[in-house]
Amino acid sequence: MRYIFKFPDIGEGITEGTILEWYVKKGQSVKSGDSLVKMETDKVVADIPSPKNGVLSAIFGNVGETINVDDPLVEIEIAGINGEAAQELAKVEKKDSEPFEVEEKGYGVVGTLEIAKDNAILSSSMEGVENKQEADKIQKKILATPVARAMAKDLGIDINQIKGTGPAKRIMKSDIQRTYNNRYEKPLGLKTETNQENLVEYESLSQIRKTIAKNMIQSKQNAAHMSAFEEVEVSGLINIRNKYKEQFAKEDLSLSYLPFILKAVALSLKNHKSLNSEMDLNNNRMVYKKFINIGMAVDTENGLVVPVIKNTDKLSIKELTNQVRILSTKARERKLTLEDMKDGTFTLTNYGSIGGLFAVPIINYPQAGILGIGRIHKKPIVKNNEIVIGNILPLSLSVDHRIVDGGETTRFINDIKAYLGDPVSMLF
Amino acid sequence: MNEDKYDLVIIGAGPGGYVAAIRAGQTGLKTAIIEKEYIGGMCLNWGCIPTKSLLESVKLFRKIKTAEKFGIDGIGDISFNWQKAVKRTKPIVKKLTKGVEYLLKKNGVEIIRGSAEIVSDKMISVNNRTLETNNIIIATGSKPASFKNAKNNILEIENMLQETEIPKKIAVFGSGAVAVELCQLFRMMDRDVSLLTNDDRLIPGLDSSIEKFLIEKFNKEKIEIIRDTVITDEGITGNGIKFNFDMIINASLRQAILPPHSLDLTIEKSFIKTDCNLETSIPGIYAIGDVNGKNFFAHSASAQGLAVVNKIQGIINDIDFYKHPINIYTYPEIAQIGKTQETLKNENIQFKISEFPLASNGKALAESETEGFIRILFEEKYGEVLGVQIIASNATDLISEASAAMQIEATVFDVAQTIHAHPTVSEVFMEAGLDASGIPVHK
Repeated sequence: MRYIFKFPDIGEGITEGTILEWYVKKGQSVKSGDSLVKMETDKVVADIPSPKNGVLSAIFGNVGETINVDDPLVEIEIAGINGEAAQELAKVEKKDSEPFEVEEKGYGVVGTLEIAKDNAILSSSMEGVENKQEADKIQKKILATPVARAMAKDLGIDINQIKGTGPAKRIMKSDIQRTYNNRYEKPLGLKTETNQENLVEYESLSQIRKTIAKNMIQSKQNAAHMSAFEEVEVSGLINIRNKYKEQFAKEDLSLSYLPFILKAVALSLKNHKSLNSEMDLNNNRMVYKKFINIGMAVDTENGLVVPVIKNTDKLSIKELTNQVRILSTKARERKLTLEDMKDGTFTLTNYGSIGGLFAVPIINYPQAGILGIGRIHKKPIVKNNEIVIGNILPLSLSVDHRIVDGGETTRFINDIKAYLGDPVSMLF
Repeated sequence: MNEDKYDLVIIGAGPGGYVAAIRAGQTGLKTAIIEKEYIGGMCLNWGCIPTKSLLESVKLFRKIKTAEKFGIDGIGDISFNWQKAVKRTKPIVKKLTKGVEYLLKKNGVEIIRGSAEIVSDKMISVNNRTLETNNIIIATGSKPASFKNAKNNILEIENMLQETEIPKKIAVFGSGAVAVELCQLFRMMDRDVSLLTNDDRLIPGLDSSIEKFLIEKFNKEKIEIIRDTVITDEGITGNGIKFNFDMIINASLRQAILPPHSLDLTIEKSFIKTDCNLETSIPGIYAIGDVNGKNFFAHSASAQGLAVVNKIQGIINDIDFYKHPINIYTYPEIAQIGKTQETLKNENIQFKISEFPLASNGKALAESETEGFIRILFEEKYGEVLGVQIIASNATDLISEASAAMQIEATVFDVAQTIHAHPTVSEVFMEAGLDASGIPVHK
């Protein structure tokens, strides 16, 4: 059975090392504990011992080369373990999440040496490789001090992403502080504000504000935001709306532009599945949704909430008008239920109702996109080589560039533009 | 390799030097340690260990006086025999110093007895030998500043254990842990004791709550505190009044003991200046323990010694002196770690204090040792333990829990969650933790 020994993390947070000297040659037999190679890291010069008894079937890297942690160092042929036995051993090794202690000796390595676990043992048939994903998923317990944990939780910092600098690479308070300071370019305040008591007013964060903050940061940190802007000439849409406004009013419904935009976006999403998707990194896959539920950001006294219109693409303009009315009222009266807000696949934010033109909206993570709607306004446009007065609807689209490429983004916004420019086309 | 070529030469075999030497030997450095007189330094020979064994005699003396209260009749007149008490310290000291020698040898450290002179940054001469070395650690300790204008009746602490008797009316000159400890030690031996001090604080650096306790304690025990003192052979004046004493023990401000050298070492306020890695102004030369003036406790010197050996081996760890506990062997004992309320205020850190008195602790009551308290100073937002002060008969042992808590950045919630066995004095920790978490049980 072949065993691939990877350059282990020898503590002190190193990420790479330079090979200073090989003590062994290919074909040589080694015992567990024998020094294999002298490595120089930015912290120490250390001899790396062999974790197994066996014969070296391959040696990776020449003297002077830099090797990253987790890169293979040597391949050891372990005699007498083959077939099923090898697979059994592979299973055990994969389960084993405990680092093993390396005895301190001479100029030796201080701390613990961790054997590369996942996929480290390959039976000759390469069986067991497909389990790699599963092995990756088993997370090690992160060492962190109680204060560091409390701070990370409070500040919305993912403790799994932080490199600890304490003993045994424990994450310390200072590591969280440093992460926070780097992220926001300002020091974390645990100090009393002196002589400023009258200059500022303090107000505790509401739950909704905390949630907004958490979600915004999560989105900014996880999605690769990219934005595109477009202006749509919507004179046709204005005409249609004016025509049906009265009729809607008889049924006590106020017809706005929003249901048309919802419809246009829903229909466009049907043709651009990447914008109605999310990325599932835990399982290395995309999730394309076969339903279209568009959320609409509602500005309330207490802050932003995003109720969701289920199956947006299947509703008529009248049904959409009704949904918008019901959900906005519920939002302002703080009567939204979890059911009203879950399972959104895309989001609209309509700051135009307040007067804005363009914005760079933040994606409602893990959705793939968000469309910002500006105020319809009159503007000179060129039509048939003449300058005329146009009615312009500004659109701002933000997408997660990890998921949606630039071309697709443009094609998507072009579709929306086409539907809104010629609303009748939505019927086909 | 040349016989006299070393990776590391350490000057001074006190708790800083010998610990560094052992670790250096363990990690494969060719190491020599040079000691002029005492293996184990002040700590083992006339400091920590012998004074603690003397203190034990004195405490027993005091306890026996209260025997009747504990239900023991028939104890007649008792008296304290200084010479016998001193004699008892000798085998203890011998056992420990032999132990240190054994450990040094076991780890391949060469012990050289003699006076070292640093000839250059890589050269040390001792006993007509010249040692060549890559690194030097100066761990030569400190001593109290000597009196300029007085010689009569002055006793240096180093010679205290050679005294055959302690006279009736004595004074301790100085401030800090040693001065305060000696005052109480002699007072418990029924001597008339005065503390001569020119400092604002009896023990500088301690939390004001402890200072307040100490002053009250001294008043209660009739240990006179005389401030603004001038000492000459003609006599002693304090606050403008003349005093006479049979003996004055010098526990004044300490100064570095510098080995002879021809180096351009930077000295600051009579101590060797070092950087955060304890390296002096000359690369490859380090100064640890008292001689660098950062901290005068043996355990800190040892910790510094280990940090320097790590540094030589390429492992750099920050030394946080706030995490080195301060132990004071008064009666009851005083211990402190972390920041004081004054420091926290100066640093504008939002903090709260949780205090729990020993008078409410069952074990303390059973032992009739109810004098004292525990105070936990904790950060308001996350509850991190920032400082702990303890006054209790076993405060110097209790403080280790606080050291552990601070080492792992524990919060008061963790302290409250930790189950403390009953009945123990350590339960006060849990109570203070519970109180800090807003869920006190016995308060």
